[in-house]
Amino acid sequence: MTSLPARQDASTLADVLERVLDKGLVIAGDIRVNLLDIELLTIKIRLLIASVDKAREMGIDWWEHDPTLSVGQRDIAEENRALRSRVAELEAASHRPAQNEAASPQAQEHE
Amino acid sequence: MRTTATYLYAITRPISSAEVSELRGVGGTAVRVIAHREIAGLVSTVELSDFAEQALAAHLEDLDWLARTAREHDEVVRAAARIATTMPLRMATVCLDDDAVHTRLETLSHSAVAVLSELDGCDEWGVKMFAIGPPPSTEGTTAEPSTGTAYLTQRRRQLAHRDSTRETAAHDAGAAFARLSKVAVASRQHRPQDQRLSGAEHPMVLNAAFLVTRQDEDAFRAVMTDLVEQSPPDAFALTGPWPPYSFVPSEDL
Repeated sequence: MTSLPARQDASTLADVLERVLDKGLVIAGDIRVNLLDIELLTIKIRLLIASVDKAREMGIDWWEHDPTLSVGQRDIAEENRALRSRVAELEAASHRPAQNEAASPQAQEHE
Repeated sequence: MRTTATYLYAITRPISSAEVSELRGVGGTAVRVIAHREIAGLVSTVELSDFAEQALAAHLEDLDWLARTAREHDEVVRAAARIATTMPLRMATVCLDDDAVHTRLETLSHSAVAVLSELDGCDEWGVKMFAIGPPPSTEGTTAEPSTGTAYLTQRRRQLAHRDSTRETAAHDAGAAFARLSKVAVASRQHRPQDQRLSGAEHPMVLNAAFLVTRQDEDAFRAVMTDLVEQSPPDAFALTGPWPPYSFVPSEDL
C-alpha cells in the first residue's frame, strides 16, 4: 500500500486462516480434532494437484512466478508424481491411528 | 439419537440472542447466545453429519470447505466484537450440546472475565512488512554468463544482494515493530506467512499483531502512515480492525 487503507481493508485467506486455525482461545470441545494436522504446506501441494484453476480463482497463483515450475522446464506428469508422493509422506507423518468415533488423543500445542 | 451438536465461536461480555439474530454462521446456521453469569458463549447448532469427528476431519482436508468455514467463523466473531468485548475461539470447537457449553463456561468464567477486562475497548491490527529491495544493479549481469566461473560470480552477486536486502529489511522490521509497539497495549510477532501459500510477490519480514485501544487508533495509524511514507510502495500491509485472536491465552483456560 502507498497510503493507509480504510478500516476493514480486505484481509487475505492466509490472514484469516492463520488466526482461526492457529490463534484464538483453545477450549477442548467434545469432538476432538487436531487442527495442526492441516499443514498449510500440504494444502499448497494439494492445490497444485487438485485444481490450478480453482486456486487461481482464489487469488493463489504463486507457481506462475516460480521458475522451477515453469512448463517446458519440467515434465508435469513427473512433477505430479513427485508431489503426490510428498503428500503421502506428509499424511503418513501426521496421520492419527484412531479411525473410529471414539475421542482421539488430546491435540498437541506446538511452537 | 443425537443428530446435532453445539459449535462455539467466541466468549463475550453478556449480549442477547436478539443482538445476533441476523447473523449466519458456519454452514449458514443461526447464531445464538448461551448466557452464563458474567460471560456469554456465541454458538450455533450444527449437524453431526458435518461436525462429528470423522466428518469434520474430512472437511478440514477440503480447502474449499475450510476456506468457507474459516471465513464464516471469522465473520461471526467480527460481528460479536462490534457488539461487545470478544474472546475469539479457534475454529472447530464443538460440544455435544448446550449443557456441555455451560459446563465449559462455568469452568473458565473467572479467568475469562479477567481476560475480557484486558481486551475492553481494544482492537487487533495486523501489520505485515515485505522485503522490497532496489533491483540488483545490472552491471555485469546483462550478458549471459559464458563460462562456469562467470555464472558462479553472477550467482554469488545475486545471493549477496538478496542477503543484504533481507538484512536491511530485518533491521527495518525490528524498528517498525518497536515504533508501533509504543502506541499499542500489547504486540506479538507471528511466523511470516509462507510466500508460496500467500502468493506474495516479496518475502515477508514481519508478521505482527498489535492490540490498540480505540482512543489510540489515530496515533497508531499516524505511526503507520509515517512508516509507509518512508518505505518503498507496498512494503507494508495493514489489516484490521480484527477481533483479538492474537491476544487471548493460547493454553486452555
